Amino acid sequence: MAEEPATIGDPVLRLSDVGKGFHGTTVLDGVSLDVPQGQFVALTGPSGAGKSTLLRLVNGMHLPDSGTVHTLGENPAACSRSRLRALRARVGFVFQQFGLVGRLSALENVLMGSLATLRLPRYGVMSYPRALRIRAVEHLDRVGLADRRFQRCDTLSGGQQQRVAVARTLLQSPELILADEPVASLDPAASALVLETLKRISVEDGISVVCSLHQIQLALATADRVVALRGGRLVLDEPAAGLTAERLREVYETAGTRDAQAGARDAQAGARDG
Amino acid sequence: MVDTTPVARAPAAADPGPLRPPWSARALIATGLLVAAVAVTWLTFWWIGLSPASLAAGLDDTARLLRRMWPPDLPGAGDVAGMVAETLLIAVAGTGLAALASVPLAFTAARTHRGPRWLRPAARVAVVLTRAVPTLAFAILFVRIFGLGPPAGALAVAVHSVGMIAKLLADVVEEADPVPAEAARACGAGEVQVAVSTVLPRVFPALTGIVLHRLDINIRASAVLGVVGAGGIGVALQTALGSLNYHRAAGIICVIVVLVLLLELLSVAVRRRTIRHLVRHGTIRRRAVRRRSRAGRSAGDPTGTAALPAGRAPHDVGWDRGRVLRVAGAVATGMVFLVSLWSLNPDPARLSGAWPNLRSVLTGMWPPAFSGHLLMAVLESLLMALGAAAVGAACGLVLALLTAVTTTPWRPLSAVVRVLLVVVRGVPDLVYALLFVAALGLGPFAGFLALWISSTALAAKFFADSLEQLDPLPHEALTSVGARRWQAFAAGIWPQFVPSFTGNGLFVADLALRESVVLGIAGAGGVGYLMQESIATLRYDTTAAIVIAIAVVVYAIETLARVARRHLL
Repeated sequence: MAEEPATIGDPVLRLSDVGKGFHGTTVLDGVSLDVPQGQFVALTGPSGAGKSTLLRLVNGMHLPDSGTVHTLGENPAACSRSRLRALRARVGFVFQQFGLVGRLSALENVLMGSLATLRLPRYGVMSYPRALRIRAVEHLDRVGLADRRFQRCDTLSGGQQQRVAVARTLLQSPELILADEPVASLDPAASALVLETLKRISVEDGISVVCSLHQIQLALATADRVVALRGGRLVLDEPAAGLTAERLREVYETAGTRDAQAGARDAQAGARDG
Repeated sequence: MVDTTPVARAPAAADPGPLRPPWSARALIATGLLVAAVAVTWLTFWWIGLSPASLAAGLDDTARLLRRMWPPDLPGAGDVAGMVAETLLIAVAGTGLAALASVPLAFTAARTHRGPRWLRPAARVAVVLTRAVPTLAFAILFVRIFGLGPPAGALAVAVHSVGMIAKLLADVVEEADPVPAEAARACGAGEVQVAVSTVLPRVFPALTGIVLHRLDINIRASAVLGVVGAGGIGVALQTALGSLNYHRAAGIICVIVVLVLLLELLSVAVRRRTIRHLVRHGTIRRRAVRRRSRAGRSAGDPTGTAALPAGRAPHDVGWDRGRVLRVAGAVATGMVFLVSLWSLNPDPARLSGAWPNLRSVLTGMWPPAFSGHLLMAVLESLLMALGAAAVGAACGLVLALLTAVTTTPWRPLSAVVRVLLVVVRGVPDLVYALLFVAALGLGPFAGFLALWISSTALAAKFFADSLEQLDPLPHEALTSVGARRWQAFAAGIWPQFVPSFTGNGLFVADLALRESVVLGIAGAGGVGYLMQESIATLRYDTTAAIVIAIAVVVYAIETLARVARRHLL
C-alpha cells in the first residue's frame, strides 16, 4: 500500500465542495473543510444539519454525490474494498450509541478494534493474541477502566461504555478520530469525562479529532476550532479561542423557519411539561 | 453508578494484570451444549447406520419415488373442498373447545391462584401431561374410544391444545399487575369475581393472540390426523399411499401444501395488524418506533388522549366503528365455532357407546407395563430427534445467514431461499416420514431424514428472524474499524446471536422430539409404532407406559432447554 508521508501541516482531512443527498433531499451542499494534524475540531449545528453525514463521508460509509473527500491522502470514493478497509483501520469512529456488543466483556469489545490487522474472525478474548490483549488493557487503563475489563458491557454506565468505545478506537492506533455526538446520550459529568479523554488523546498523541457536538459550552471548552453547519451548508469556521457562546448560539437561533417552528414547538412542550 | 477513577495515562505497565477471562457459567453451559450436540449427533449416526453411502442410496430411492409420483393427480374440486372444509372444522372445533377449557385451567395453574391448595398442582400436572403427549397420540386413543371420524380428531386437537394455551395464558396471568385485584378484593369481591373482572380483561388480548397462533398450528396438525383415521384430508392421503396410488398421493400433498401456505399468508397479515394495533395502543414499543421518535424528536404529534366524543352521554358506551367491528367479530367467531361443533355431528348413541370403551381403556391402563423393548424405542425416538435437530440447526444457520437481510450476501438469493423455506415448512413432518418410508422402507433412517428436513427449515426461519432483530450498530462500528465481512460477523453479530441461537436450537430439538414420537405411526422408527400397535392389540397397560415415558422425556428436555436459556441470556 502506498503510504504517503504526512508532512507537518499537511491536512489529514480535506473536503472540497462536497454535496450529498438522500432520496432527493439535500443533506450537504458545497462544504469545504481542511483539518490539519493534531487539531480538535468541534462540529456543531442543529439536528439534521448534516453533521453525521459529513463524518460518514470521511471514512467512506457514505460516498459524496459531488465534490471530493481526501482522508489521510486517500479518496474513499476511489478506493477498492480492501483499500477502504485499510483506510477505515486508520480512522477511529466513535458512535453516539457506542456500538458495543452488550453481552461481551469490555476487554473483548476493545480488542475488536484490532480486527483489521487480523486475518480470521475472532470470538472470545482468548482468540486474540496475547500482545494485543496487553495493549487493549493498556488502553482500557488509559480511559480509566482497566479494572472493569471482564465486566459485561451492558452492565457499565453510559459514560463507561463510551470510554470503552474510545479505547476500542485507540487500539486501531488511529491517525484521525471521528466522533458522532459521542456525549449526546450521557449526563453532564460523564460527557465532560469522555470529551476530556478524547482531548487528552488528541493532545498527547497528536491525533486530529472531528467531533460533532450539540452542547455549545462543551464545544467551546474542548475544541481548538469550531465549525458550524446549518441546512447542509458551512456557516461558521473559527478558532474556539476567539469565539463566544452568544455568537455560536446565533447559528442555532437564526436557523431556517422550519427549524424555528420546531424550536417553538419544543419550547411549548417544555412549558407544558414544566 | 458514579465512576471516579482518575483518568491518567498509564505508564507502560510491567504487569498488565490478568489477560485471561475467568470461566463463567455461561461459557461452560454453551460449551457443554455444543459438546453434547456433537456427541448426540455422532451417536445418532451410529444408531441409524448413517454413512455417505447410505445417504446417497437413500437420496437415490427418494428421487425414484418422486419420479413415480409425477404428475400429481388432483381429486375433483368438490372432493378437495369437502376434505379441506372438514380439516378446517376439526381444527376450529378443537381449538375452540381448548380455549374455553384453558381459561379456568390457566387461572388455577398460575402462581397467583388463591383457591384450594391441592388444585394448583393438579392443574399443572394436567397442563404438562396434555402438552407433552402429541395430538396424533391422543387421536389414536380417541379413535379407539369414539370410533373413526372427525369427532375423535377434534377431541385430540382440543386435549393437546389445552395444555399449551393454558401454560402461555398462565404466564400472562402471573405477569398482570396485582394492584387492581387487591382493590377488587378490598371491595369484597370473591376470587372468581376478582379473576373475571380484573385479570381476564387484561389478559384477553394475549388470549386472542395465543388462540390464533394455536389455531394455525392445529390446522397443520388436522391435515395429518386422517392418517390414523381421525378425519380430515389426511384420510385421503393415507388411502392413496395405502393403495400405492402415488399420483393421487402427490396431488393431495399439493393440496395440503397450498392450504398451509395460504394459512401462512393469512397469519402473517393478522400478526402484522395485531402488532400495529398493540403499538398504537402503547402495549408494546418496538425498537423501530423508538428509533423513529428519537430521530424526529419535535415531529411527534401529541396523541389525542380522546375524551368522550361529542354528543355521547357519559353513561353510554356508545357504538363507534371499533366497537361495532369488535362485537361483530366476536359474534362471527362464536358462530363459526358453533357451526364447527355442529358439523362434528355428535351422535348421542355413539357417545353413549363410547362410555364402555373409555372405561375399558382407563382400567386397562393400570398398572403401566414398562419393558426394556419400550425404553429402547423411546431412546430411538430421542436420538432421532436430537440428532436431526443438531444437524438441522447447523444447516438452518447457513440458510438463515443467506436469508436474513442483515447478513445475506445477495438480496435476490435471500428471497429465493425464503420462499423455498416456507414451502418446505408447509409439508407436515408426518408426510415427509410417509414419503421416506415409502422410498426407503421402515426404520429410523426415514424418520431421521424427515425430522432433519423439518428441523432445518424451522431453525432457518427462527434464526433468520432473530438475526434481523439484532442491534446493527456493533456491526457498523466494526465495519468502520476496518474489519472484514466475516470478522464483523463473528465479533459484532455472533455474540449477540448466541442466546437466540441456543434458545431457538433447543426449541427446535423440543419440537423434533414431539414429532419423532409420532413418526413411528408411519413406520419411521421410534416409539410411535409401538404405541399404535399396543392400542390396536388392546394392550392399554403398554400404552400407558409409553405415554408416561413420552411425557417424562419431553418434560425433561423442555426443562433442560428452559434452564439453559435462562443462564445464557
